[in-house]
Order: sequence, then structure tokens, then C-alpha cells
Amino acid sequence: MFRKRYRQQIPELNTTSTADISFMLLIFFLVTSSMDTEKGLLRQMAPPPQEQQQPTEVNKDHVLQVALDASNQLTCNGKPVDVKQLADEIKTMVMVNREGHVITIHTDRQTSYEAYFKMQNAIVGAYSSLREAYAQKHYGKHYKACNAEERTAINDYYPQRISEDLKGGEP
Amino acid sequence: MRPMQSMYRRKRRHVPSLNMASMPDLIFTVLFFFMIVTHMRSDEVKVRLEVPQGTEIQKLANKASVVNIYIGKMGKKWAVQLNGDIVKPEEIPARIEKLRAGLSPENAEKLTVSLRADRHTPMGIINDVKNALQQSYALRINYGGIEQNDAK
Repeated sequence: MFRKRYRQQIPELNTTSTADISFMLLIFFLVTSSMDTEKGLLRQMAPPPQEQQQPTEVNKDHVLQVALDASNQLTCNGKPVDVKQLADEIKTMVMVNREGHVITIHTDRQTSYEAYFKMQNAIVGAYSSLREAYAQKHYGKHYKACNAEERTAINDYYPQRISEDLKGGEP
Repeated sequence: MRPMQSMYRRKRRHVPSLNMASMPDLIFTVLFFFMIVTHMRSDEVKVRLEVPQGTEIQKLANKASVVNIYIGKMGKKWAVQLNGDIVKPEEIPARIEKLRAGLSPENAEKLTVSLRADRHTPMGIINDVKNALQQSYALRINYGGIEQNDAK
């Protein structure tokens, strides 16, 4: 018996459109997802004041009164300053009285959020430059490169003592 | 040297086709990359806002314990949006309580509020919101902002 043997070939699937399908999926994900990571200034608020809590007396010399008025004018202990000067003021204040200083923040209800954000930015900047200097001096590396333990040590060395007035004056 | 082709026997030469078999694989790789690095937009932002710029901003880690608050303009008025819906500042403590109950204990402890407010929001609204947050012991606040360009 002669049977013609020819190799059976599996018919090839046409896969040209797979690329199109996966492109469509890709574009779908690009549209529906957001690449931008949440960024911002991380701050810790003080716990709510207790009823029977006595307001602690603080020496006036150790207090830095930062205020923002309705026209977004930044004042520091009563004299008008800009954010750079504020950062410098905070730095000198903290260096003089590391553990006893207090920064009080007062805002008006009409103050714009941007001005407030810029002020917070300046405060964070002042503290982080001090902590950076400390990290460089004692650990010989950047604050960012320090491990959690070293960071806590640095943060304890330069504590942030900020008291915020949330009443905000007249509504 | 190639022998000269006869004028009558023209062989049709065509460009060899590219093998496209690996193309889908490639695109799938890109797709998976995007699926991993991005996260779905969880809630629609109903208010119009533009966050301020700063120089000291950091990335916000641990998305599981983040509560989003958006403050911006809705039409002509200022509105506060907590995660998905518009709320009044007075309602925030109850909402936070509810959200906190839904989190695991370690995430509830690290509960962070991502406050994304418009640049021109008056501080009165923000202070009301912060007061509400303080009452509900949600004390970690992330003031949303974008990196300032130093080009200027």
C-alpha cells in the first residue's frame, strides 16, 4: 500500500490583531490610571485640647509668633517678613533654644491657602535644613540616607514645637 | 558577479516581511508595567482645584491608610469633598470614624489625611476642616502640593 505521507501542518493562527488588542488595553490603562504620586507636606497636628487642661505658661522670649493676616501678609513677632526671612528667624530661634522654643501660627479666615502653604513650606524647610546639618555633622551623611534610628535621634534633637490656632478669628 | 538578468525573465523581488510574532509580547510587557506602577483613580474629584507649589514636599507613602479630602470651587461656592462625596466640615468626624473602622488596626493608627486644597481657598474653610480632623484624632495631614520649578 502506498500512502502518500505528507506532513500534517497545523494551520497557523493569524495573530496580527493581538498587538492591536493589547494596545487597546494599554491605552485604556493609561487613560484610567494616574501616574502622579501623591505629594505634599506631611505635618502632624496637636491632639485636641482637653477641657481641664491648663494652658502652659511659656516664656515670651522663646515664642515666635507667626501670623498671616487677611491680605496674606506674613508677620513674625509683629514685624512683616517674607518666607525666606521667616525661615532664617526660625533657624536662629531653634538654634538658640532647641527644646524650649515654640512657634505659634495664627491665620485669618480670609488668608489664602497658598500663603499658608508657603509658610508651612518655609517652616519645614527651616527644620529640615537644621536636621540636615546635624546629620552631616554627626553621621557624615545626608538626612535622607540615615536609617530610621538615626532619624529619630535627629528629630528628637531638633523637635518641632508648633502650636496652631485653628479658630481663625472672625468668620 | 551576478549574471545579468534577462530582460524577459523578470523575477519579482519583494521586501521580506517582518516577523511580528513578538510584538504582542512586547506590548503586554509595557501594559503590565503600567498596571503595576499606576493605580486606578479611586474617586472622581468633583471640585475644581489647583494645588500650591512648594519646595520641601515629599512623596506620600502607604496609600491604604490615606483619606483624601479635596477643597475647591464647585460652581461659585467652595466645597469640601471627602473621598467620593461632598461633605460639610461638621460631618467629617463621623466619616473619619466610619473609615477608620474599615481599616486594619495598624493602618488605622497611621491614618493620614491627604488634604488637597485649591491655592485660593480661604483659611477659614481649611481651619474648619482641620478642627474637625483634630476632633476625630486624624492628626497626620499631608498638605498636597506640587514641586516648584526652579527655572525662574
